[in-house]
Amino acid sequence: MSDLTEQGALPDDELLAAEYALGVLAEAERASAARRVARERAFAELVARWEERLAPWAAEIAEVPPRAQVWESILAQLPSQAAPRPSLWQNLAFWRPLALASGALAAACIGALVYLGGLSREAVLVAELNGNGKHALVATVDPRRSTVLAVPANLEVTGNRVPELWLIVPGKDPRSLGLIDAQKPVALAVPARLLAEATNEAALAISLEPPGGSPTGQPTGPVIAVGPLTKL
Amino acid sequence: MDLDANRALVAAALARIPGGDRAALQTVYRLTSAKLFGVVLRILGERGAAEDVLQEVYVTVWRKAADFDAGRASPMTWLIAIARNRAIDRLRAQRQTSRLEPIEAAGELADDAPGAESALAGAQEHARLHRCLGGLAERERAALRGAFFDGNTYEELAERMKVPLGTMKSWIRRAMIKLKACLEL
Repeated sequence: MSDLTEQGALPDDELLAAEYALGVLAEAERASAARRVARERAFAELVARWEERLAPWAAEIAEVPPRAQVWESILAQLPSQAAPRPSLWQNLAFWRPLALASGALAAACIGALVYLGGLSREAVLVAELNGNGKHALVATVDPRRSTVLAVPANLEVTGNRVPELWLIVPGKDPRSLGLIDAQKPVALAVPARLLAEATNEAALAISLEPPGGSPTGQPTGPVIAVGPLTKL
Repeated sequence: MDLDANRALVAAALARIPGGDRAALQTVYRLTSAKLFGVVLRILGERGAAEDVLQEVYVTVWRKAADFDAGRASPMTWLIAIARNRAIDRLRAQRQTSRLEPIEAAGELADDAPGAESALAGAQEHARLHRCLGGLAERERAALRGAFFDGNTYEELAERMKVPLGTMKSWIRRAMIKLKACLEL
């Protein structure tokens, strides 16, 4: 009977989520669990937690580079012409939250607009950083003046941590742009040479770091929000 | 490049994909495909099928990148889950039964030691999982390994370890309870 008592420690849905994430279900049960993942948010969350628990095991699996043809086949399967991404300024989806949502984001966007008033538009890039389902921050990058304005919206900082802003350029290590503030806008002075790499191929990210910022020069804490840079 | 740097790069590239940025998908592919191919190949055991599944994985990433939330999950966790799920789906569909060598529970922990990968991102999470797996009975750990690495079902594991199906279910369920408590997630 001890088995029954112990098994009672995991509710049925959680047990099923664990079995699905581990991969032990036979075909029919697996298909049924997969349908629940697609339809039920709460069940999908349980599965995601188990995937998070188990995924580090994959560190023990050796990397095996696939043949170059695999990437070509993937490219061939993408929709033939990806819709060109509208600039953020024209993108309704970006502005819709202003009408609906948090006053904080609205304030952030207005802050960005006021700041932009004095700028030459063509050089400026903006990024809306999202994480945990929330708009965390709006950043405007002005390479000509070597500044980044970081206006927080719903930026949650837990524990004795400080948020640090990073420039992410494909193929390179993240570079710190400086510490930001969860409560008020911060204008960061950033070397022009670094900001020259802030193009619409790059992105910004926020990580949580010890007071004073990352001790290593690379993000050491969790990345809590990310957003691509977009030309105005 | 260390793990956390890699994690931020992958997360940033994923964030660009919903806008239709193929270069961003290529960045994700360049940084993660060798790991995901290793995972898929281990489950399927055959290069041709593994390459097919790897294609499906990145086409899925292209379609579903908007679902990825950097504030909630690590990008590697998200990608590994997609890769394992696709590979296991394929395995179930082809009803492959060729990988049913007997599992010897004794002595398999030695292979578990974190080694060359410790410099990569996630080393801390891996060390913690490894410690918790070390707290399981050998037979429980061996059964979980067969499921995670080889994609075995309860029935296949029962056959490989020569125990009744009910016994195997009870081992795995008990192991999952202990694992959750130890990881405190």
